This record gives sequence, C-alpha cells and structure tokens, in this order.
Amino acid sequence: MLSSSPISRTLRTSKRLAPLVIGAGLVMVLASCTVANSGGSGGGGEAGSLLRVVLPQEPPTLEPCEGSLTSTGIVTRSNITEPLVERNPTSGELEPLLATEWEATGDTEWTFTLRDDVTFSDGSPFTAASAAFAIDRAVNSDLGCNIEGYVFGDDDLVVEAVDDTTLTVTTVRPDPILPLRLSFVEIVPESTSATEKVREPIGTGPYSIASWDTGTKLTLDRNETYWGDAPAYASTEYQWRAEGTVRAAMVTSGEADVAVGLSPDDGAGDLGVSYANNETVALRMSGDLPPLDDIRVRQAINYAIDNTGIIDSLYTDATKSAAQLIPSGVVGFNDELEPWAYDVEEAKALVAEAKADGVPVDAEITLVARNAMFPKITEMAQVLQEELTQIGLNVKLSMVDTSQSLVYQLRPFVRNEGPIVQLIQHGNQAGDAQFSVDQYMTSTGAQSTFGTAEFDAMLEAAGQLSGDERAAAYEEIFAYQNENVVQFATIAHMVGEIALAPTVTYTPDAATGDEIRLADFSPVS
Amino acid sequence: MWTYLRRRIVSSAIPLVVVILGVFALARLTGNPANLYLPLNATDQMREDFAARNGFNDPLLVQMGNYVGGVFRLDFGTSLRTGEDAAAMALRAFPATLQLAGVTMFLAIILAVLVGSWAALKPNGIADRVSSFISMAAASIPDFWLAIVGIFVFAITLGWLPTSGVASGASWVLPIATLLLRPFGVLVQIVRGAMVSSLSEPYIKLAKSKGASSSRVVFRHALRNAAAPALTVAGDLAVGLVNGAVVVETIFGWPGIGKLMIDSILQRDFAVLQAAVLITAISIFTLNILIDLGYALLDPRVRPAGSIRKRRVHAQAIA
Repeated sequence: MLSSSPISRTLRTSKRLAPLVIGAGLVMVLASCTVANSGGSGGGGEAGSLLRVVLPQEPPTLEPCEGSLTSTGIVTRSNITEPLVERNPTSGELEPLLATEWEATGDTEWTFTLRDDVTFSDGSPFTAASAAFAIDRAVNSDLGCNIEGYVFGDDDLVVEAVDDTTLTVTTVRPDPILPLRLSFVEIVPESTSATEKVREPIGTGPYSIASWDTGTKLTLDRNETYWGDAPAYASTEYQWRAEGTVRAAMVTSGEADVAVGLSPDDGAGDLGVSYANNETVALRMSGDLPPLDDIRVRQAINYAIDNTGIIDSLYTDATKSAAQLIPSGVVGFNDELEPWAYDVEEAKALVAEAKADGVPVDAEITLVARNAMFPKITEMAQVLQEELTQIGLNVKLSMVDTSQSLVYQLRPFVRNEGPIVQLIQHGNQAGDAQFSVDQYMTSTGAQSTFGTAEFDAMLEAAGQLSGDERAAAYEEIFAYQNENVVQFATIAHMVGEIALAPTVTYTPDAATGDEIRLADFSPVS
Repeated sequence: MWTYLRRRIVSSAIPLVVVILGVFALARLTGNPANLYLPLNATDQMREDFAARNGFNDPLLVQMGNYVGGVFRLDFGTSLRTGEDAAAMALRAFPATLQLAGVTMFLAIILAVLVGSWAALKPNGIADRVSSFISMAAASIPDFWLAIVGIFVFAITLGWLPTSGVASGASWVLPIATLLLRPFGVLVQIVRGAMVSSLSEPYIKLAKSKGASSSRVVFRHALRNAAAPALTVAGDLAVGLVNGAVVVETIFGWPGIGKLMIDSILQRDFAVLQAAVLITAISIFTLNILIDLGYALLDPRVRPAGSIRKRRVHAQAIA
C-alpha cells in the first residue's frame, strides 16, 4: 500500500468530519438568527407610541456643537438638545425657547433672560451657567465645532452668567443677528466634556437617548422631566438606508412612519409630501478668468439658461425659478427680482459682441457638477452644457465626487484648468441673507470667485443694520449682484420630499431637511 | 502541518506589509480631508487648526511612522467622522459581512454542485441547456438592479419579506439571494465543465461496470476530482464577498464592512479605512491558506504549497 504524507493523512481522516463541522458552524451562526453588529432584533411599539424614522445616513455623531451638519442636527436639534431661541421656519421670527426674553443692552452686548423651570434629562438644573458653558464650549474652545465655523467664524464671544436666569453675551463687533446665531448653539450641562466632543449628549429637549446600536438603529425616549408640552410619541426609532427608493419602500410597506430626503422618483406615491426646502441651485462662474471675466459673457450665460424648461421637464410644479441665491422667507429676499429671461438670440448676440472685441469665447470652459448632490443633477448639468454650447461657448462637462467638487468650490479654487462654471446648491438654513452673501459675494468669501471693492463695502454695511433697514439693504445687494456683478446664474429654488405613513400627522416646512422636530409629529386621531 | 502553516504565515506577511503601507500612501494621495469636515465657510485658521489637531501638518514620514507604530499596537486612531476608535468600528462591522459572505458561499457551493452535476450527467441534454441558461443569466444580472427588483416584488408587491434591515431572520433572504446569484452562476459552469471531463475518464466507466450506483459514481468519484477547479473559483468569489458586498450592504442597510470602507473612502476617513483594509486583508490571507488546505483534503496527490516533503505518486484507489 502506497503511503501518503502525514498532512494528507491527517486531513483525510478528518475529511468525513469536515462537512459536519462546517454544517454545525453554519447552524450555530444561523440559529442566532441575528446579524452581528445589529444589537438584536427590534420590534414596533404599540401603535401611536413609537415613531419610526428612516434617514439617508447614520448620524456620524450626536455632538450638539456639530448640529449645523445635517446628518447630526436632524436628530439632535430641538429633540435631544435645545437652543436659547429658535427660528420659526415659516414666519422667519425668532421665538423663545430656553430664553424667554432678549435685548441688545449695548453696542456689542446682548442680555438674555432664561427660564427657571428647566432641568436636563439627567436631572441637573439648567441655569445661566449651563448656557454660558455650552456657548463657550461650542464657540470659543479648541473642539473645532462645525457650528463655530458655520455661524461664528474666528470671533469669540464673551459670555457671563450674571445670575441663574440672566446671561450676557458680548461680541467682538456689533452683531445685530447674534440671537439668530445663538439659535444654532444647543445647550448642554456643565458635566459635558469641554475638551472632547461627545457622541451621546445630555440635553433639555423633549427626548433623550435610550440606546444607540451603532450601525443599526438609534432610539430616543420621551424625556419625562421635559419643561414643555410632552410630545405625542413616547419613543422614536431612527434607522438609515442610503438608497432613496428603499426609504420610500419602507414607508409604503409599513416598516417606517417617516422617510426623509426623497426625490419624486423614489416611489413614495400618495404618501409623498413635497415642501419648499431652503435650497437654491445656481451656476457660479469664475469671473476672473477669460472669457468669463467679461460681463457680457456672464450675462449671455444667464440668458441662455431656460430655467422654466429645466424645471418643467425635470422637477415638480412646486419648484420655482430663481432670481437670487435665497428663497422667500429669508431676510433679504427681494421679491421684485425677476429671473433672467430665456433669450437665446440675445445670448448669442452678447457672445458675438464679446468675441468681436477680442474676448476668447472659444476657450474651453469646464462645467463642474457633483454626483448625486441633488436629484437629477446629471440631467440638469447635461442640459446646461448643451444650452451654453449653443450660444457659441465651448463647454466641457465634468461630474466629480464630493471631495473633488469641494476643491473646485472652495478657496483657493482650481486655477490651472481654465475658466470654471460650477453647479452649486446653497441652503440658507439660518434665515438671514448674511449667511449667504458673506461667503458667496465678498471678494474674499470662501465660495466667491471674485468681487469688487464697492460691492464689499455694500456687504459690510448691510451686515451692521437691523430690522427693515437690514432687509432692504440685502434686497439691494441681490439686485446689485444681478445687474453689476453677475457672478451667478441662479436656476431654481428646490423642493424636498418626505414620505409619511397614513397614521402620522406632520406638516413639513423649510427646516425639515435640516431638523426633524419630533414634537411636531402626532398620530392621526 | 505546522511547518506548512508557519511558512504560509511568513510568506503572507510581505503582502500584508505592502497592503499596510499601500493603503496609507494611496489614502494620503487624496489630499487634505479638511474640506469634508469643516463648514464651507471655514476660515484659514480653522483649516490650520484641523490639520494640526489631526496630525496632517506633520511630514509624511512622521505620519507613516505613527501609523505603522499604531498598527503594531492595534491602534489605528480615531475616526474623523464619528470620533470612535477606528479599529473598534472595523471589528464591529466585519462579522456582519462575514456572516453574509459565509452563508452565501455555502449555499452557492451546494446549489452549484447539485445543479452542475445534474447538468453534467447528460452533456447537451435538456437539463444541461436549462441549467446553462439559468447560470449564465445569474452570472450576468447586476446585483443593484436585482436588489431593487427583489424589494419591489417580494417586499412591496407581495409583502412576503421585509424591504431591508437586519431586524429578523426573514431579512436575510433578499440580501443572500441577491449576493448568491453571481457566485452560483459562475460555479455551476465550472462544476459542470469539470464534471463533464471527470465523468468521461476511464475509471468512471470501470466504476459503473463494477455496479456502482449513479450517485456513488458522481459524488464519490467524479466530484472529488472535479472539485479542485471549483474550489479555486469558489475561493476567488469568496474573497470578493469578504471584501464587502458593498451594493447589497448599502441597499439593504446591512451594517457590514463593505459599506464602512466605501463611506470611509468617500469621506477620506483614513483611520477607519486603514483598519478596515487591514482586517479584510488578514481575513483574505487566512482564506487563501484554508483553500490551500482544502486542496490537500480533496486530492491526496497534492501537497500544500511550501511543504518540504517529497512528492509521491499516488494511484487512485477505487474501493
């Protein structure tokens, strides 16, 4: 009998056992019938007590000072944590929340009167000291909070708790919209780490975190010590699915009550609800590079774009043609501005005139657009390329991912690829034009490719005003942009869509894309 | 056996080092991720602070040194996105993918063996043609389309299965069915081809003439000899699944490592990407070693690669 190697003998003698071993292993795996990383199966609560929400992505963190990041703020803002004041998205007015009153008590000082009947969900009392701590932590510290960058810039605030219910906030320079800025700062107790961001915060809001099975689901329970009216739902369960059709399917098949971030093609059908979100789509032109440095070419681009045609063929009726970067409801919106007319002949004439003057209209212009930034962006970009080409320009389309698009979008921009027009979507969730114009229109703005000294002076002056004067000044700025600067070709004020189960009552508003206020939901009675 | 394993582990170390250094270099080539983590209107000071806080200002060699040192301590740093420990995130996500891949390959192999053997019994017969058609279709269907159609038909229209998620046993069905099809389709063709040539060998005729039953002929004799090419391809397919069934994980919300890797790439979350790639690489090397051992199990003539024992010719013993 020929012999074989010890390895083969060992393996062969166990070969009959191998299938049994493998089979047994698989049975054990399946017998648990739970997926690793899933934290076990979830169930529905009793009808009316559990609200099931499905988001486009898992919140990367619930740190309140990152609340200006949609993926975080959509869970935390006004649910787990609350600010001192809150903007009403419909009226645009600031409303009291943890603060009952506020007034400017000096050129650079504001004083807030705070509620005295609030506790955090861990039982600790809310006082001016907590508010001071939370603001200091979000704005002045080294945490690098998103709110700090988005709302406050490099300037620090001096906060002082005068007594338990009085807080003063002093700014570096006069700031008429400080209370609006503070509406982004969610208040946390002094026990919160000031040196590290926290993933699961304590707050004063109507809900607190019950459990977070990272990767699978996040559950919030009603905060029984909440100072305000108790929300209708005792618990909320968040899940996430990247694919919009799947989110919509979860609502239509009864697995979820609310799905956000949908597009009309996702199949929500009758359960879909559209709402005007605060996003505006536009082309931003690098107006310091030829041929885009000639205002006639930029005007021609505006004339060449058929806003109405694009909206009618790609989007729903509620989408509106845009004449400025902010939608109505934001302070500074100029309701007398009309979108540019669609006039191909005028556009061609302007291009021809520029060409006759030696402007290199044949130079290749790159149209940059970011994949999946909003529904049907690829189709829109293709239409825009075609429309610009037909007036005599040489336009190449470049679809890029998020990281690449940010290189084109932000200073120091891309300077070695010739003139660029970039398809941007701007959302003004703050409700004041300053948040738009400072970054998009000043000559050194983070997203502004060019500007003028005169325009800079107008922008600076407008930011110092308040009330009706402020609104009027910003309205003039948008008109000036369209007449004299023409950095943008604004296209549409966009519409968002959510799906609601028939058992749920909720009216979406302009803030719904950034915040889902759970207290606004109730079961259909 | 142990000599063999030792040699394989040592020889796997070099590609592992290449992976460790390679993922670092490639990730860093994508540039500074500050834009993705800071608000759009962040000032230059904020970008400076971000870079300093995360060590992106250090020279590349210093960053690499810190990273490699961390790898030896199994410390990959913290996620830029979530602030959690990167290794913990990757280790948490990996078993979910392993479960999905394991069950999928197990079912794919069993089904492919059954269907492929059945088809090979009568080449060009009806069974053969039908199974060829089905397997070609299965290997060609794009998984993202199949997943969405599966949800539409079985979850929305018929209501038999959940749309997605990991809540119940029923939620395994659609993800596994989607992932299963391509490996099944490919393996059927391989098994069928190998079985046809195996079944035409003279020893098969001898076995039949000795009165061996069909099933004994197929499973005891022919299949063992046809198994090696199938094992090669199955191993390759399994590696593809272990790498992360990204599309299935994304569509069905399966909390696996494929989606984690893609999200980390898109968000330039270097720490998590490095941890996830390393864990996946180690598991692939392990899988390759197991496949090698599998060859030895199936064919006594084959010594596992690297064995120092002299090869011997070993005749087929027909019992």
